[in-house]
Amino acid sequence: MSDNTASDTPVVYCQDVQRIYQQESVPVYALRGANLTITAGEFVSLAGPSGSGKSTLLNVIGGLDGFDAGEVTVGGTSLGALNASELAQMRLEKVGFVFQAYNLIPVLSARENVEFILQLQGVSSQERQERANSALQSLGLGDLGDRRPGELSGGQQQRVAIARAIVTEPVLLLADEPTANLDSKTTSELLEVLQQLNQQQGMTIVTATHDPIVMSYTSRQVAMMDGEIHQDSAMAS
Amino acid sequence: MIRLAWRNLQRNKSRTWLTAGGIGFSVLLVSFAMSMQSGSYEIMIDSATRYFSGHGQVSDASYIDQPRFERTVPNATALQAELETIDGLSVMPRVQAFAVVSMGEKSLGGMAMGVDFAAETRFLDIYDNVIEGQIPRASDEALIGSSMARNLGARVGDELIVLGSGKQGAVAAAIFIIAGIVETGQVELDRTLVFAPIAGVAEAFYLQDEAHMLLLMVENLSQLGAIGAQIETKLTGPLALQTWQELMPMIEQSIELDKAGAQLFYSLLLILVVFAVVNTFVMVLFERTREFGLFMALGMRPWQVIGQVQFEALLLSLLGIGLGLALALPLINYLSAVGIPLEYMGGEEAARQMQMGSFDRLFPKATLASLLTAPMVMIVGTQLAALVSTVRVRGIHPVSALRVE
Ligand SMILES: Nc1ncnc2c1ncn2[C@@H]1O[C@H](COP(=O)(O)OP(=O)(O)OP(=O)(O)O)[C@@H](O)[C@H]1O
Ligand SMILES: [Mg+2]
Repeated sequence: MSDNTASDTPVVYCQDVQRIYQQESVPVYALRGANLTITAGEFVSLAGPSGSGKSTLLNVIGGLDGFDAGEVTVGGTSLGALNASELAQMRLEKVGFVFQAYNLIPVLSARENVEFILQLQGVSSQERQERANSALQSLGLGDLGDRRPGELSGGQQQRVAIARAIVTEPVLLLADEPTANLDSKTTSELLEVLQQLNQQQGMTIVTATHDPIVMSYTSRQVAMMDGEIHQDSAMAS
Repeated sequence: MIRLAWRNLQRNKSRTWLTAGGIGFSVLLVSFAMSMQSGSYEIMIDSATRYFSGHGQVSDASYIDQPRFERTVPNATALQAELETIDGLSVMPRVQAFAVVSMGEKSLGGMAMGVDFAAETRFLDIYDNVIEGQIPRASDEALIGSSMARNLGARVGDELIVLGSGKQGAVAAAIFIIAGIVETGQVELDRTLVFAPIAGVAEAFYLQDEAHMLLLMVENLSQLGAIGAQIETKLTGPLALQTWQELMPMIEQSIELDKAGAQLFYSLLLILVVFAVVNTFVMVLFERTREFGLFMALGMRPWQVIGQVQFEALLLSLLGIGLGLALALPLINYLSAVGIPLEYMGGEEAARQMQMGSFDRLFPKATLASLLTAPMVMIVGTQLAALVSTVRVRGIHPVSALRVE
C-alpha cells in the first residue's frame, strides 16, 4: 500500500462503478456506472436530487459499502480486492468520515471521542492526548475538550466530528451532508473550517450536499443524477 | 476502553444496578448457603465420629469382614506407639468380645468392650452421657448401658459376671463391679455394652498385647487424608485402615445427597440470573446498534466491538460479585464466630434423632469453594449470556446502522 498523495496519483479513482441493491428481489440501481477522479488537495461537492446516489458513492469510496461492478481506488489501494477486515483497516488509516448526524460517542468527552480512533490505531496514550488536543485546538474547540456531546451545540459537535476525522491524518475526508442539521450561520462557520483544512493543510475533501452555500465554498462541483455523474465543473472548464 | 465500558454501564444506572444487584444477591445467597453447608457437614461428621467410632480405625482386614475374636492386631502397644509418632494423631486400643453378662439369676447377651478410659474420655462424647455413677477407675470396674442395667435390675456398686470364650476357645470369666451407667439413646448400645478397662478385659479373655482395633482421632479432620496416607505406610501384613467414610457410610451418603439437592437449587438460581443478564444485553444491542455501526465505520472490527461489550459484561459481573461478597463476607465471618442457634431451626431435636450427640449451634464455614464457586459461575455465565446477543454484532452493517431515520 502506498500513501503517495502526489498530484500524479489520484486520491480517488472511480471507473464505471455500479451498486445495485436488491429490494424485495427488485434491483435498485443506486450507482449505474459512476466515473470520478479526485486529485490531492481538491475540495469537491457532490450535489444532486435525493436518491441520485450521493451517499452510496461516498460509502463506496469510503469502503463502508461494497460495489457490484467497476473499479474503485483510494490512495493507491484498489478496494475491490479487499475483504471486510482489510476494508476496516483502510477506513481506519486512510479515510475520515463526517456524518449528517454527528455520531459522536455520547458517553465520551469531546477529547475522548477524538482519542478513541487513535486508540484503535494503537497510538500511545501520551501521543494520543497531544494529537487530540491539537486537533481540537485547530478547530477552535480548545476549551470544550472535557464536555460530553450532549453539552455541545450542533455546530460544536460537528466540529468535534471533524477533529475526530482528521486526527488520524487521513488521505481523504468524506462528509455526507455535514451541514444539513445546522443553521446558515453555523453552516458558514463549519464550511470555513473545512475550507481552511483544505487550503492550509491540503486535505482532500469530498462532501455530499443539497445546499448551494456549501457548493460555493468548494473548489469543484460535481452533480449526480440517477446514479451517474451528470455534471462536473472540472470537466466543464 | 475500560473508561468507555464503565461509562456505558452508568448510562442506564437503574438497569445496571438491577442486574448487578441480581448477580450480587445470588452470589450472596449461594456463597452463604455453601458456607452454611460446609459448616453443617463439618459438625455432622465431627459429632458423629466423636461419639463412638472415631475418625478412623485400624484392624485386621479379616476382622472388618467378620469380627471374629481371634482376628486381632498383634503387638498393639508397639503399633500404637509407632502411629502416635504421626503429628496430630491420637491412638486408642480397644478389645471387644461377645459375652454372657449375668447378675444373680438374670443373664443377657452382651458385648464386653475393653477401652482406655483415660484417653477415650478425652476424645469421645459417649462418656458424657453417664447418668449414674462414674467412669471406671480400677481394672475390675465397668460402665454398662442403661437398658442392660434395667434388664438386669443392676445398680451402681453391684457385681456383674461376664462369661465368654477367649482365645483358642478357652472359657473366659471375669467379675466387674458396676461403676457407672451410660445412656446413649441408641438402643443397640444401651442394651449390650459393657465398658471395662482394656487391661481387665484382655486378661479375662487371654489376650496378650493384642487389640481388635486401634481407634484413631485426628486433631483436624481436613488432615485426615494426609494422615491416613502416612498410617498406611506403617501398616504391615493384613492390617487395614478404615476412615469414617467407611465406618459410617450413611453420613457420607446423606452429605452427598444434600449436596446434590443444594447444587440443583444453586443451578436454578444462577440460571435465573443468567437469563436476566441475557435480557440486559439484548436491550443493550437493540439500543446501541447505531453506535456499534459507528464503531465499525470508524474501523473497528466486529470482534473488537464484541470484545468491548463483553468487557462491559465483565465489569457488570465484577460489580455484582463485589456487591455480593461485600455483604456475604462480614455476615459469614460474624456468624462463624457467633454461630447460629439451632433451637430456632428445630435443629437440636433433629440432631438427637440423628443420634449424633449434641450440638446447639451451627457455625457457617467459609471455604475457598464456598466463596469462589458462585463468582466463577457468575463471570462465566455473564460472559456467555452477553455473548448470546453480542454475536449479532457481526450482522450489523455500518451503512444501514448509521442511516438517518
Ligand atoms: N440499503 C439499501 N437498500 C435498497 N436501496 C437502497 C439502499 N440504500 C440506498 N438505496 C437506494 O439507492 C438509491 C440511492 O440512494 P442514496 O442514499 O445514495 O441517495 P442520495 O443521493 O444520498 O439521496 P439523499 O439526498 O436523499 O441523501 C436510492 O434510490 C435509494 O432508495
Ligand atoms: Mg444521502
